[in-house]
Amino acid sequence: MNIDDSLVRVIRLKKYFPVYGGFFLRRRGWIYAVDDVSLEIKQGETLGIVGESGCGKTTLGRCIAGLYKPGAGKIVFQGQNISELNSVQLKAVRLKMQMIFQDPFESLNPRHTIGQILKEKYEIHNKILPDMDMEISGLLEKVGLSPDAMAKFPHEFSGGQRQRVGIARAVSLEPAMIVCDEPVSALDVSVQSQILNLLLKLQMEMGLTYVFISHDLSVVKHISDRIAVMYLGRIVEIADAPLIYETPCHPYTNALLSAIPVPVPGNRKKRIILKGEVPSPENPPRGCRFHTRCPFVQEICINEEPVLESVKNAGKNHYVACHFKDEIEFHT
Amino acid sequence: MKTMIISSLTKKRWERFKSVKRGFVSFIILALMIFLSVFAELLINNRAIIVYYNGHLLFPTYSEMIPGKKFGLDYDYETNYRALEKKFRKEKNGNWLIMPPVPYNPFENDLKKGKYPPFPPSFKDRHFLGTDNVGRDILARVVYGFRTAIFFSLILLFLNYSMGISLGCIMGYFGGKFDLFFQRILEIWSNIPFLYVVIIISSIVVPNIMILVLIMAFFGWIQMTWVMRTMTYKEKERDYVLAARSLGASDLRIIFHHIIPNTVSVIVTYAPFAISGGIVALTSLDYLGFGLPAPTPSWGELLLQGWTNMDAWWISSSVVAALVITLVVVTFTGEGIREALDPKMHTIYE
Repeated sequence: MNIDDSLVRVIRLKKYFPVYGGFFLRRRGWIYAVDDVSLEIKQGETLGIVGESGCGKTTLGRCIAGLYKPGAGKIVFQGQNISELNSVQLKAVRLKMQMIFQDPFESLNPRHTIGQILKEKYEIHNKILPDMDMEISGLLEKVGLSPDAMAKFPHEFSGGQRQRVGIARAVSLEPAMIVCDEPVSALDVSVQSQILNLLLKLQMEMGLTYVFISHDLSVVKHISDRIAVMYLGRIVEIADAPLIYETPCHPYTNALLSAIPVPVPGNRKKRIILKGEVPSPENPPRGCRFHTRCPFVQEICINEEPVLESVKNAGKNHYVACHFKDEIEFHT
Repeated sequence: MKTMIISSLTKKRWERFKSVKRGFVSFIILALMIFLSVFAELLINNRAIIVYYNGHLLFPTYSEMIPGKKFGLDYDYETNYRALEKKFRKEKNGNWLIMPPVPYNPFENDLKKGKYPPFPPSFKDRHFLGTDNVGRDILARVVYGFRTAIFFSLILLFLNYSMGISLGCIMGYFGGKFDLFFQRILEIWSNIPFLYVVIIISSIVVPNIMILVLIMAFFGWIQMTWVMRTMTYKEKERDYVLAARSLGASDLRIIFHHIIPNTVSVIVTYAPFAISGGIVALTSLDYLGFGLPAPTPSWGELLLQGWTNMDAWWISSSVVAALVITLVVVTFTGEGIREALDPKMHTIYE
C-alpha cells in the first residue's frame, strides 16, 4: 500500500450497536454493523461501497465521516486519527470532510431557508464573509440552481433540487472528501444521472475525493474508480471498478452483478438466485459469513474465516475474501 | 432581509389561520377581550375618566387618589365621582366629568336603603348584570375576574413552558441514564395529589396570585416535559440534525437552531388548551375556597355566590355565560392554530 497518496486509511474498523431488550432493557447483544474493515481511499478517487441493505455500508460511511465513534480500530484522515481528536480538532476536520445524505426531504431543516441552510456552515466555523449573499449565490450556481432559491424553503423544491442544495452545502468551504450516502437512491432515474454528473463535474473542478455508498450497482459503476463490496459488516471484494464488473471473484459479487437489470429487451441473462435470507447481523455465521448462502460452500468455509487477499490470476489491487477465489470461475 | 425571509412561511400559516373562519373570529374576540380587560379601568370604574373642574382637566383613572376637598367637597377621602357628577349637573357652572359606562369598581358595595342585595340588573343604576349579595357590580367582577384568570393562565403557561421545554429538550436530546432518571422523577411527581397540596398550603398561608401560580406551576410543567421529550427524541433522529452535526454544529446550536424551531408547532398548539385549563383550574379552586383571598374578583367566588343564591339568577347566569364564552373562544382559537400549523398542509410532494 502506498501511503503517500492516501487521504483516508481505515484500519480494522469495528462498530457495534447494542441491542436492548427484556424487562429492565438490559443489553441483549450487539449488532455487528461494521466488523473489522480495513481500506484505503486515495486522494482524488471515488471509492464505491456496495452491498444490500443492512450490510453496514451506511455505518461505515458515517464512521469515516466522523459521525459515529468507532468501537475499535482507527480512521486516519490526512495523517490524523480522527477517533482520538477532541471536539475542537474534530470541528476543524469536519470542515474538510463532508457528507451528502440519502433523503433530500429529510436532510434539510424544513424551517430554514436555503440561504440559512447554506450559511450555517460558515456561521459554525466563524467564516462569515462580508458578502455572504454573493458567496451563497455562487454556490447555488455551481450546483445548477438559481440564486433566488436563497429565500425559499426546502418544501418549495423537488427532490433533485433539494439534493443539489445538499451538495452545495457539502462542497462549500472546500472540503477534501465527501461521503455520499446513497445520494441518488431517493430520486427519479431521470434526475439520478443529472446529480451523478454534477458530482463528477464538481470532482473535476475541485479535486474532491468521494466515498460513494449505494446499493445500485449501475450507479456505482458510472461514478466509481474503485469498488468495495460489503456483506454483513465485512468487505468481501475490493478492486478497480472495471475489474469488479468484468472478473468478479467472490460468489456474492457475482450474484449481485447478475441481478443488474439489462436495459436491452429480450437479452436476458441468467440470474443467480441466492437461497435463504441474509443472516441477522446480531448473530453472524461462523467462518465465511456468506457460507449459508454460497452455492460453492465447502467444509472449510463453515469453519474458517477467509481473509481479504489479492487474487493471483487477476490484476493488481484486486482483493477478495474467499477461500476459493483462485479456483472458482464464473461464466458471465 | 431576515424578517422578510421568515415571514414567507409565517405568512402562509397566517393566511391558513384566517381561512379557518371559526378560529379566526374566536381569535379576534379573544384578543379584543384581553385588550379591553387590560384597560378595564377606563370602562368599569368608580373614578371618572375625565374631570373638567375650574379650567383644569384631570384624569383620575390612572392618577393618584384625589381627595374630595379638591373639588370643593367637605371630605378628605376619595372623591365620589358619581355624586360629583350629579352636583356638577345641578350647579351648571361649566364643570363636567365623564364617567365610565359602568361607574362602579369591583370592590365597592352599592347599597340601598331598606333593601338587601343582590339587586337584579338595572339600566337605570347602570348595574347591567345586577349586583351580588353584598351589592358589588357583577359586570365589574366578571370583567376584573376575567383579567385575573387570563393573566394567571398566561403566567402559568410561561412558567410551565419554560420548565417543560428546557427539561424535556435536555432529556430527549441527551437521553441515556439522565433521561431514565428524570422519567422516574416525573412519574413520581405526577402522582403527588394536586388538590391536597393546595389545601395544605392554603391552610398555612393565604395564597396570593403569585403563590397560587407557583403551586400550579409546580404541578403543571410535567405534561409539557413529556411532550417536548418525545418531540426532541423524534426530531434528533432526523437526517437534518445529523447533517448539522456533520457540519460541526454544537449540541446547543442543534437544540436551539434545529430542534426547538421544529417543535414550535406543537408548543403553539398546546398553548390555548393550556390557557383554558388554567382558567378552569383557577375558577374551581376559587369555587372551593382555596383560591385567591376574599375581595379579589374571581369567577369561582361568583359561581359559589350564584349557587348559594339560586333565586338571584343573574349571578350564576352571568358567570356561567362568561366562562362558556371564554372557554369556547379559547378552544376555537386553539383549533384554528392547530389546523394552520398542520405541516401536511404545506408539504407538497411533486
